[in-house]
Amino acid sequence: MPAAVASRWQQRRRRVFQSVFQTDASLPTPSSTPSIPFPDQGQPFGGPAVSSNVHQYGTGAPSTTIFSQAATRDTLQPLQGQPFTTSTPTTLSQSTIAAASQSQLTQPFYPSIANAADDQIAYDRAWHVVTARIALPSSATADDSFGTLAPESQLHLGSDVEFYQALNSLVHAQTVLPRAAHTNDIVAWHAQQVRGHFTQHVIPLLAGCVEEDSDYPVDGGYVGIDGGENAKRGSQKGNDYERHMVTVMSSIRTLKAALRLYFYGLGMLVRGFSRTVDGLATEKAKSDAETMALRFRRDIHALVSISASDQLIRSIRVVLVRLVSQVLGIPVMCSGKHQAQSTRPSPPHEGNLEALAARQRLHELAEQLYNVGLGGERFQILFAEIMDQMMSAFVNGAYAGVWAVQETIIPVTPGGLSLATAKSSSSPCILSLGDWVENHFSRLSYQVLSRISPDVASPVTLADLKTYLSLALGRLAALRISELFDIVLAWPSSRGALDDLRATVTTSARRTKLTSSFSRALQTRLLHPGHSTLEILETYIAIIHTFHALDHSKVLLGHIEPSLQLYLCQREDAIRIVVTGLLASPEEVLAARKVSETKKKKADRNQFLTPAMPGRSSETPGTRSRGDSSADASSSRPTSSGTLVELALLLNDPAQTRRVTPEDEELDWNDMQWVPDPVDAGANYKRPKSEDVIGTLISALGSEDVFIKEFTSIIAERLLGDPVRFDQELRVLDLLKRRFGEAALQNCDVMIKDVQDSRRLDTAIRRTWQQKKLEHDLLVTPAGPASRQNGGDYGDGSDGTQYHARILSRLFWPSLEREHFVLPQPIVEEQRRYELGYENLKSRRKLTWLNQLGQTRVELELRDRTVCVDCSTIEATVIYAFQDENDPGGSNPVSRSADDLYMQLQMDEDLIAAALTFWTTKGVLRRVQPGVYTVVESLTPGPEATDAPAEEGVMEGEADTEEEAGDDSSRRQPTKPAVSAKELERQTMYWQYIRGMLTNASVSMPLGQVAMMMKMLIPDGFKWSNEELLDFLSEKLADGDLEIVGGKYKLVKK
Amino acid sequence: MSYNMEDSQNSIPASVSANKLRAVPKGGEAGQNAIKRLQTELMQLMTSAAPGISAFPSADGNLLTWRATIEGPDDTPYAGLTFKLSFEFPSNYPYAPPTVLYRTPIYHPNVDFSGRICLDILKDKWTPAYNIQTVLLSLQSLLGEPNNASPLNGEAAELWDKDPTLFKTKVMDRHRDLDDD
Repeated sequence: MPAAVASRWQQRRRRVFQSVFQTDASLPTPSSTPSIPFPDQGQPFGGPAVSSNVHQYGTGAPSTTIFSQAATRDTLQPLQGQPFTTSTPTTLSQSTIAAASQSQLTQPFYPSIANAADDQIAYDRAWHVVTARIALPSSATADDSFGTLAPESQLHLGSDVEFYQALNSLVHAQTVLPRAAHTNDIVAWHAQQVRGHFTQHVIPLLAGCVEEDSDYPVDGGYVGIDGGENAKRGSQKGNDYERHMVTVMSSIRTLKAALRLYFYGLGMLVRGFSRTVDGLATEKAKSDAETMALRFRRDIHALVSISASDQLIRSIRVVLVRLVSQVLGIPVMCSGKHQAQSTRPSPPHEGNLEALAARQRLHELAEQLYNVGLGGERFQILFAEIMDQMMSAFVNGAYAGVWAVQETIIPVTPGGLSLATAKSSSSPCILSLGDWVENHFSRLSYQVLSRISPDVASPVTLADLKTYLSLALGRLAALRISELFDIVLAWPSSRGALDDLRATVTTSARRTKLTSSFSRALQTRLLHPGHSTLEILETYIAIIHTFHALDHSKVLLGHIEPSLQLYLCQREDAIRIVVTGLLASPEEVLAARKVSETKKKKADRNQFLTPAMPGRSSETPGTRSRGDSSADASSSRPTSSGTLVELALLLNDPAQTRRVTPEDEELDWNDMQWVPDPVDAGANYKRPKSEDVIGTLISALGSEDVFIKEFTSIIAERLLGDPVRFDQELRVLDLLKRRFGEAALQNCDVMIKDVQDSRRLDTAIRRTWQQKKLEHDLLVTPAGPASRQNGGDYGDGSDGTQYHARILSRLFWPSLEREHFVLPQPIVEEQRRYELGYENLKSRRKLTWLNQLGQTRVELELRDRTVCVDCSTIEATVIYAFQDENDPGGSNPVSRSADDLYMQLQMDEDLIAAALTFWTTKGVLRRVQPGVYTVVESLTPGPEATDAPAEEGVMEGEADTEEEAGDDSSRRQPTKPAVSAKELERQTMYWQYIRGMLTNASVSMPLGQVAMMMKMLIPDGFKWSNEELLDFLSEKLADGDLEIVGGKYKLVKK
Repeated sequence: MSYNMEDSQNSIPASVSANKLRAVPKGGEAGQNAIKRLQTELMQLMTSAAPGISAFPSADGNLLTWRATIEGPDDTPYAGLTFKLSFEFPSNYPYAPPTVLYRTPIYHPNVDFSGRICLDILKDKWTPAYNIQTVLLSLQSLLGEPNNASPLNGEAAELWDKDPTLFKTKVMDRHRDLDDD
């Protein structure tokens, strides 16, 4: 009774006091903003206003407490979910039963409260006692102390009896103080308190933790300061991690302290709940209290993790990135570029202290973060992101450019899951990657995840590991696909990378990705005018090799080939390069071998990196980065040789020409390497027999016909040019015959036979001459002033003219144009004599001379020197013209003008000009005025006009003849300068087409239609562009053959 | 020897590749052989044109229909006249003869008023050895030497022998230059 009176009196006094003063100094409940008035009904609670609300609880404003309680529950509801709100009534009702039986015990403290007011007062008193005890301190000055807390041991002391009794009466208000109209949930109050405290004090503190360290911009862990000096930047970067670590740790400390504070109050409440009255706690009440505590904890954790600032998360990210990369052996990315490139990521050594420390640190960090409530979903997502980045970084860093085949056997860590070994082939990259995923990646994620989610039995299962592994292999596949072009360039030292690709590119989606990505790379890196056809072809050969190694079925190659082939069709020199490559002489092949050997040596020196293995120190050997590997891969290609000698090598390689009959292939039951056709193979897909580079190449160049035609013309050129032996040609011809069949290459056979026959014929004719010489003294009377060179000399006399001819069968040789010019008289004599001899041997056949195709060895006797030159007949003829006919002694150096020569030799001006230039470069002629050339009789400058012998040409010539029945003079066109004979022929033919078209198909046609018809109708393809056609038609317009009517071309009627 | 190298890199790619691609034989498709053969014949015609005759595929780009022109030979009533013809090739050409019609109205014993021609090699005497050029040359010679034994135009056959002057007038009356496409 006296207690009740005293309390009532105290209450009253407080009210009076309050009515006078706004603040109450003796108020036990902490109140930082007491002046803020209590919100009106309907006004939401929350934010800083909560604390004033709390204050009102304590002082008891009965009219609004119910509302505020309801509001508190409402705000809790979204945070904690349904269970909390629904279970609250049950908790209360259950404890009611317990409280009812204990009512006797509570009586002595509030014995005489009989009316409602008394109950209410008792309740308010109890409320006050409890809240005063668990109230949170209002000020926070230090990071880790929010005021002093009563030590834990005090809780059990007798002085707390009052608190527990008060708590009991609060909790069991319905039974103990049944008439108290306005009751509140003390737990909700506490939660509300905590919330307010957190918002008001902890968040600013956290912000302080973050801000005090991050005065300069923080950008996802990679701090970039514009304009900062390098040194400063470097040091800052070095400290970056430390700085973020400090941020994280101080935040954690702050949070820890705050949570300790919160859980202190909660602990008191829980204890009060569970024991109610001295030790008589039921199991039920205990578990209820635990549930409540758990709920509270969850609530607080949610609060913490939601309110964690972005800066804090960023700092955590930086710290995590650093630690994780250390643990996983990935060089820290934020360091300077040179550093990042110099070391490749490799799994750390078992005894690597740094890694162990980092691991330890990471574990602690994860634990602490979990304890303070930052280990929630946000952290998990963050962690997952980082691990994802790390996997990419590891794969890209460790295996980019690592293409070499490695023979070493990888020790699999005993006890580790042998998934990788079971699954992969021999590729070292895949093995080491699998090892990394198993022993480092998965291990780390297991350790971290088990710390932040202790309730899950096994956060990383075997299935997860498999997923990780397949993810990692996918990354590797993506890396290799992106590197594929460089891999092709580095062939054959990049076989290892192909093994990787073969093992990882298993799905059709990846195959598609591979082909499309490679086609893109082709377009941007190869198929443009910046690359010579030779380079393209070389790359193509490498592509064929590479893709064959990658996929024996050739399906992948088939996917990427079309664009390449289409592009090669535009390169008209492609066929020529291939053919000359095939015909490369053994010497060239040898040279190329040497080149490739040196290249290999160089490559060895540059050694492709081998993937780093566990058990090895983290410093991987070699410093090659991806950038320069591709650079010197392209530069070290043997482009300097100028021919595609690889083809000659391949042609001699028996494996390339091996042809398996299809029946054998079908019935080869012993083929243990057999695999089914790839899924993306076409309908009439046929398994290719062998790599067959040449076959693929030739088929890529268009039809066989085109190839053979080009081959024939090149063979013709070589047969006419090289007079000695045709071993290489014959060999290539044989090999090609095997490929294309005898009939297709018949022309070449005839051509070679022609050349061989004409040698025989040549000797035969010569022999008859010898005989005739024996019979008569002279057959041909020397004629002309130059006759002293060949006068009556049939033999091989040193001052005579040797004349040989090759007789070609016109039908089998590619069309050879006849170039008209006047040969020197002695040569004409020889020709006539030769012709005679031939007609004696083969009657009824006639020789048509193709003078321009010949070769001449010329000896020029100049005043101070003798020049011996191998040149063409044209050049020989031109220099012969410089021989002064009237002055064989040659008192003066002879001068000739180009116009004179044109009149004299009846030769094409262009050819004359070319020949003059030729002799000028040989130092025989000198240009004195435009168009006038003089013989350089003496190299020493001095008086020119001395009596010195004029040059005399000793011609040892060969001219090629064409056996021809018809008269081909009618076919000859008046030569226009700068228009080749072939082009002229083409013009004539096209003009025929256009005339035929305009006569028959349509009277008038626009340019586009003409071009279209030409393209369609000319079997070899219409070689002109629209512009060229327009030029040609304009010429015809000017000639009066055509007219334009209404934008359409029309033939002029005659 | 002029193996001149084309400046391949700068040429328009489309024309070359289009033709190369087209050159890939499409096996089994009817008419492909005929078209190939006609292309070859066109090439022959263009490279070794016989005087007074010419032929070309029609403007619609269909190689199976051609237009041809014959100039009337000197020393015949048709001298100085040109005649237009149309050729329709069957898809099994050259194993079957083309259908040839005079499009220019012509007064001739072996040609009827709608332009149909009575010529044995276009009917039962056809062999695959014939080609457009030989057909045109035959038609050209038919202008000078009609086969009056099997006339399609009886009046003309009669007049050819009886009254060359009247025949010439009839020819000139009938002839009309085609000025359409």
